[in-house]
Amino acid sequence: MFAQFFGNFLLGKDAVTPEQLAKAIAQTQSTHVKLGTIAMQKGYMTAAEVDEVCFMQTREDKRFGEIAVERNYLFEDQLEDLLETQNSNYLLLGQALVDLGYLTNEELESHLIEYQAENDLGSLSAGDESDDAVERLVENFLEDADGEIPDHAVIYIKLVFNSLVRFVGQDFTPLAPIEVDSYEAHCCVTQRIGGPIHITASLDMDEDVAIEFASRYADMEFDSFDEYAEASLEDFLNLHNGLFTVNMSNSRAMELSLEPPYHEDETEITFRGKCYVIPVIYPFGTVYVLVEI
Amino acid sequence: MDFSNYSILISDDSILARKQLKDVINSLGEGATFIDASNGQEAIDKYREHHPTLAFLDIVMPVKDGIEAVKGIISEDPQAEIIIVSSVGTQAQLKAAIEAGAKDFIQKPVNATQVKTIIEKHLP
Repeated sequence: MFAQFFGNFLLGKDAVTPEQLAKAIAQTQSTHVKLGTIAMQKGYMTAAEVDEVCFMQTREDKRFGEIAVERNYLFEDQLEDLLETQNSNYLLLGQALVDLGYLTNEELESHLIEYQAENDLGSLSAGDESDDAVERLVENFLEDADGEIPDHAVIYIKLVFNSLVRFVGQDFTPLAPIEVDSYEAHCCVTQRIGGPIHITASLDMDEDVAIEFASRYADMEFDSFDEYAEASLEDFLNLHNGLFTVNMSNSRAMELSLEPPYHEDETEITFRGKCYVIPVIYPFGTVYVLVEI
Repeated sequence: MDFSNYSILISDDSILARKQLKDVINSLGEGATFIDASNGQEAIDKYREHHPTLAFLDIVMPVKDGIEAVKGIISEDPQAEIIIVSSVGTQAQLKAAIEAGAKDFIQKPVNATQVKTIIEKHLP
């Protein structure tokens, strides 16, 4: 989850534009995180040392770690540690921004330090995403929203990000929630959760984005927004809301019920309760998550 | 497996879920006849009309939910082989469906192993 919120953090700092971020997210799908990027995040090497080793790699046919150890920039045990955490994905995003020329290594280094300090991630290794750390990230993220968001809505929104990671793909960045009274929906699926608390959750997006989203969730290739693609969006929402009701039952002994999901096209939705819209940027377009409480 | 003597009712408001279940069954054997229903009332009506060998019912459906559909079908045919296809979050409803007479259940998203076990257990 760190990559998704790191993207949001960079947007908040005006360090990158949404377009640059989307390109970098797309690039992370086909790359692996570099050792130099992790070495900076862990504080083993400075940006200048990383740049020097990268430069040396253009002169010598040697691996990054080999050169760094030879030059005494890294100890052997540090190198082993770096190799272990090479699969971390928020560093991958940072690295993609550097590779595309949107950030320098120095800028990335300072943003990483600030991001980790703000979210108290300093003691964690890059690959370690404990529940507590993710909780803090989501809470910090939601602080940007207008007004206070109730506890169950925070739990709900946190699970939205988990479900997107699990069932659609982790290559996204959420933007800060916006409170709205009404919303112009394009291609929208909605489901109501009832019981001691009420939540109406919707997913809205443009039709071409919906085709891609549906294809990813169902693991099928849809060419148009047909009834199967529509059902795929509804099934995702239904599965996600089902997980939420199970979590609330297990953790709060709160029994909730689900109504069948439904689809709406090109319509204006007016909300009776508080509604938050969370734009989620994927490489294929923006998905709007609407949570009415 | 040869399913040519079997008719299978699949009731789910999601056309995608119906297709995915049919694809899984077709991957296990050939010749099954499928009957679709998209809500609980339609499931009862189609069961009455076709008397399928096996019926798969989703729980959360419009008009009448899966539990009401189980009750409706069992009142007509106490021997009906009804399998509940449940999503997460429907445990309490799943219990109610079994109490109403459903014979078994599988969890969504369905996979071939689950469905194979169910079919071997419940098809004559």
